[in-house]
Amino acid sequence: MKVNNRETGRLAETLATKALLEKGYSILESNFSNRYGEIDIIAKDKDILVFVEVKSKIGTEFGLPEEMISRGKLKRIKNMATIYMKGDILPCRIDVVAVVLSQNGDLVRLTHYENVYM
Amino acid sequence: MLIKIRSIANIGLETVPVDVEVDVASAGFPGFTIVGLASKAVDEARERVKTAIINSKLDFPPRKITVNLAPADLPKDGAAYDLPIALGVLLASGQLENLDTDLTKSFFYGEISLDGTFRPTRGILLLGLFAKQLGPNTIIYVPEPSAPEAGVISGTKVIPVKNLSALVEHLSGKEKIAPLNSRVFTESTDSIPVEFDLAEIAGQEQAKRALIIAASGGHNLLMWGPPGTGKTMLSRALPGILPPLTNSEALEVTRIYSVSGLLNPGQALLSRRPFRSPHHGISGAGMIGGGSNPMPGEVSLAHLGVLFLDEMPEFPRSILESLRQPMEDGTVEIVRAAGHVKYPASFTLIAAINPCPCGYLGHPKRECKCSDKQITKYRHRISGPILDRIDLFVPVASVETDKLSMTSKDSLNRTSSRQVKQQVVKARKIQELRFQKDGLYTNSQMKNSHVKKHCFLLPESENLLRMAAEKFDFSARSYFRLIKVARTIADLENSDKILPNHMAEALQYRQII
Repeated sequence: MKVNNRETGRLAETLATKALLEKGYSILESNFSNRYGEIDIIAKDKDILVFVEVKSKIGTEFGLPEEMISRGKLKRIKNMATIYMKGDILPCRIDVVAVVLSQNGDLVRLTHYENVYM
Repeated sequence: MLIKIRSIANIGLETVPVDVEVDVASAGFPGFTIVGLASKAVDEARERVKTAIINSKLDFPPRKITVNLAPADLPKDGAAYDLPIALGVLLASGQLENLDTDLTKSFFYGEISLDGTFRPTRGILLLGLFAKQLGPNTIIYVPEPSAPEAGVISGTKVIPVKNLSALVEHLSGKEKIAPLNSRVFTESTDSIPVEFDLAEIAGQEQAKRALIIAASGGHNLLMWGPPGTGKTMLSRALPGILPPLTNSEALEVTRIYSVSGLLNPGQALLSRRPFRSPHHGISGAGMIGGGSNPMPGEVSLAHLGVLFLDEMPEFPRSILESLRQPMEDGTVEIVRAAGHVKYPASFTLIAAINPCPCGYLGHPKRECKCSDKQITKYRHRISGPILDRIDLFVPVASVETDKLSMTSKDSLNRTSSRQVKQQVVKARKIQELRFQKDGLYTNSQMKNSHVKKHCFLLPESENLLRMAAEKFDFSARSYFRLIKVARTIADLENSDKILPNHMAEALQYRQII
């Protein structure tokens, strides 16, 4: 059975946005992308700019979504963030939202990790 | 905000101040970097400090943290910077304010564990000595388990810190930690069990006497004889007759053990004289000291004590030869690309050898099975220069069977280590008085100028020595070494002058195999 990964990703991003809004974050941008990559969500937590990477998985048979976050991926987000901030140094951080879905697309677990760095 | 915390780095036995600068930036991506030639152990402080702060119910700031260890060109090693870094992070993130301590006069040093408690750290004694030099207002903050080490130094305020929360409470003035009272800590050496008592050893009167002389004056001793006659046993009995370390000696020895991390937590000054018996598989760096950040070797760990080399010819030749310089100068200078370090290494060498590879050359009953060539080869393993530096040579012959009997008269009348120790202590007292102004401890440490000053030979004694020197063709070094041995024998008899019989006894120990 072929799963549409893009669909899954969109679904997870919607769920993550909802979770962030519930936490009182304001969403500035979704899917900010250019030729170098993409930032799933850019939000603001009080005064701090938050760059959010949403990582989703259907079932955990092939690993947890958390395991898919590597040093390289964070580096790419950081570079993208620098582009977004146009080189300014502002208070900012990177968050990761890990989403686990079931086979039929129901939410199993959503975890929000603040301030991720390696 | 930028915060500067003071700490130290130990290079050999020297201490230099190190500034730990911690900056917590308000902008930029969160991260934690340590710069300033930090080794792997220092770099890993990031994880320890972060976890310890969180586990101490304090906040680890989600910001960009930069730590600089200045001077930047000095390599830093060890986990002792955990404490200053952790404190710096807390201060720089504004979690600790209105300190009533002057940070420029306080030194912080210690390793942290993940739960926030401080672990025993090596080199605390050196920090204490360093702080004492700086003046009476200096305060040092050290891990509680290692604090007694610094407590032996009077005039330094030592704050023993148990964990990070206690440190925060103390610095914020909520709950003060009482400074450690400086005290001279001496453990009774009599209570320490010794492997063998001299009374357990049958016969070997000459060897026992030589052992007493060696222990009294710190002279190098070589025992040779067939296997199983008690060479090793005699040497193992030596710790039992060695006098305890005096206070100034103890400080010297403890410094070396402190940088090596060989002190047990809670232990203050060492009072027992070191007795080191390395196996002959030892490496050069293990014997002399070494490593990229040079650590003391066995010769330095045996400083003011005994280095016992059992089966001396089995040691690699290069290692035996490397003993030459420390045996003469009492120090070793270790030079590496990173720099050079000087460690004291004034030890008494006690060596045990067999006369030939099979061990029975010259045995009254058993036949030696070695060829001449084998014997020569065996002898050549120990070079002339090393033998020249040995003062006392004693044969340890096989013991007659009736002396071994448990009920023989001899076994009841043997002098015990306790009695002998008193003799040795008395002889050391005389030497202590003599060398008060010279900064020496024993007769063996005398330089030629001291020999001229302190060793008064009766004309008859000098004649005897001159005759022997001509006949046996002693080197200049042996000549002076003989006078030093005679000096110790005279001290054992509480005689001011070196009498002919003292000289004669000293000469008796020159019978080279």
